[in-house]
Amino acid sequence: MTALLAVARYEFRMQARKRSLWIAATLLGGALIVLQGDRGPRSLPVGTPAREVMGTWALLFAILMPLAYGMLLADRLVRDRKLRVEPLLESLPHAPATRLAGKYLGGIGACALPGLAALLLAAITELPKRHDPALIGWALVAFVVVTLPGIAMVAGFALVCPVIVSVPLFRVLFVGYWFWGNMLAPDFLPSLTGTLLTPIGDYGATWLLANGHTALFAGTPGFLSFLRPDPSAATAALSVAVVVLCGLIPLAAAAVVAHRSTRQTWPSKA
Amino acid sequence: MTLTIWLHEARRAGPAALLAPPAALLFAAAIAVFIRATNGSRAQAQTLLLAGLEAITPLAVAMVALTIVTRESCRELHLSLPTPHLATIGRRLGVLGAVAAVLCLAYAAVVALAGYRTGSSGVAALLVWAAPTLWLAGFAALVAAATRSTVLASSAVALVWLAEQVWASAFVGSPLLRPLFLFFTSRVGDGPGWAANRVGLLAGGLLFLAVTAAVLSKPERLLSEEDA
Repeated sequence: MTALLAVARYEFRMQARKRSLWIAATLLGGALIVLQGDRGPRSLPVGTPAREVMGTWALLFAILMPLAYGMLLADRLVRDRKLRVEPLLESLPHAPATRLAGKYLGGIGACALPGLAALLLAAITELPKRHDPALIGWALVAFVVVTLPGIAMVAGFALVCPVIVSVPLFRVLFVGYWFWGNMLAPDFLPSLTGTLLTPIGDYGATWLLANGHTALFAGTPGFLSFLRPDPSAATAALSVAVVVLCGLIPLAAAAVVAHRSTRQTWPSKA
Repeated sequence: MTLTIWLHEARRAGPAALLAPPAALLFAAAIAVFIRATNGSRAQAQTLLLAGLEAITPLAVAMVALTIVTRESCRELHLSLPTPHLATIGRRLGVLGAVAAVLCLAYAAVVALAGYRTGSSGVAALLVWAAPTLWLAGFAALVAAATRSTVLASSAVALVWLAEQVWASAFVGSPLLRPLFLFFTSRVGDGPGWAANRVGLLAGGLLFLAVTAAVLSKPERLLSEEDA
């Protein structure tokens, strides 16, 4: 446990200090603020419930900001190999799974910082207009329900997949997936958009809106209909759980492979 | 000798330079086949096949281009050689461009033989994929050369690509943004305004590459320990 926390803390500090994380997140978040149009949170009338305001902000930021997190985390495991420090790290007493889990938790923590900062800043800038202190509280709820699960899923895949498909190809697939699996209308092509598996936080944001409308496509009929229940508090919680668990699948697979690999190479190392 | 250098630079460009363009095209073709196999419409399949040329391939080429510009583990060694570093990077980008061009031509020919339409016919058909690919790859190379960061460059490419997909109507509707719209053929068609859009993209792409060359002509700007 101490080793896990140490790896996570070290990874968190390394990532949180990267200028590129903050600049990329600011670039993408800033573009969303500019491009939000008349359907964005700034256009919501005064008197709109705080949870709806912050749900709309959280969904807006979730459209593009996770791309920065995926790009940042894509080289975390590949980098160890590239810098030829992987054998050194493997010689340490803790299990490879511990290092992997530590990188995962530290990466999530670092990527969560700009996500949380964006939502809190949005809440603070809304305060003078709406005079509702509950905005801060709902910003935190929106962060937990919409932003954080998406980061967890992105982190799981961004850490492991580049080892298999290379970093540039992962980045291509990730951008394509983000559009296809989160924003492409399900009646246009068979896609995961509107299912419980959308890391953009469609179900969570729809629960926060609580106005009878879906945030994007949550529950819209389409491909894999069993993954498209009607949006509610229960299905929002289910979506959070499913999205987080999905992010753990590649990690678990990588941990198993790393464990077997260590056992196979142990005699030759000895 | 010349061929040897080009083959060497093809290897140094990395497997992604050779694999990403065919992977992008195969991906689009596979989904189109899946759609037809699951009783999807012919129009849906045609849109996807066109998207493979006009949207997915430019994204793949751009991501590899920015990697080529930023990834060089022995840049100091290159700077000490008589060959300008700009020429080395240029050859690697050239290999990427050649691979993408050959594959796009073959893909377009196969799609046409299968009876699907991917925009204009004749020489103009080249612009369906060449114009957005040149623009996005030039943009990626420029941001990568200027920032020396793959994270920033790939985020910027992702931002442009996704923003143009999500806010397509805003790009089409604005005379200022229309020359920057990458997906004109698949979203609007090859009617009025298409040629101007393609010329705008080509001009923009060439401009980006020229500025990238200017930045790379001072390669000491690229010296850094690691992605910041």
